[in-house]
Amino acid sequence: MDEILGKELETYEARKSELLGKAKGKFALIKDDQVVGIFDTDLDAIHQGYDRFGNVPFLVKQIVELEVPMEFTSNLLGK
Amino acid sequence: MPSFTLQISNLKTVGPVVEIKIAVGNFLEEILSRSRVKIPDPVNGLAMIDTGATVTVVREDLIKKLGLNPVGMVKINTSYSTNVPCYEYLIRVLFPNNVIIETRAIGAPLLGQHIQFLIGRDILQNSVFIYNGQMNSFTINF
Repeated sequence: MDEILGKELETYEARKSELLGKAKGKFALIKDDQVVGIFDTDLDAIHQGYDRFGNVPFLVKQIVELEVPMEFTSNLLGK
Repeated sequence: MPSFTLQISNLKTVGPVVEIKIAVGNFLEEILSRSRVKIPDPVNGLAMIDTGATVTVVREDLIKKLGLNPVGMVKINTSYSTNVPCYEYLIRVLFPNNVIIETRAIGAPLLGQHIQFLIGRDILQNSVFIYNGQMNSFTINF
């Protein structure tokens, strides 16, 4: 599961404390081992990602201390 | 205010379902167009309005048809398991009456063949959703 965006997630984890210190709640755009930029909204970060890299995987992650999993009560979701 | 109302003959059994299309996001469409790359055709399917879903879900194989790459990853809890990683994609959802919403949806397997999408609270948060069980109809105002 983690092959795609694996490197980007490692980069986020490695830089998380620093990012929390300066941009808590904002959105980081990460490609490979680079934090490309910090943005106020996820859409701004995604647009910048498409603009710089095109239609390839990149990571847009909200900078938060604790990530809360998303909830799905429907039994249609098969995971 | 754009809206649509649907009459479902047995709303209780079938649930609030609607035929929709999904397409690549606006900005990606511009980028593809600028690069003279063919823009993937929108994909049709049946969506269930699901107030129990934090975000919108697209069946994984339909994401592939749109040629999208992930722009994020989140963890989800379902009836069957917890903390399951799922990729996120920026998509446009095309509802009846020309209602178009851009959102960050997750790709995941959906059991059974009849539902291809779940419309979650990421979309509902900007709407008024009226479920009229007595009239077997539902309305969404955006």
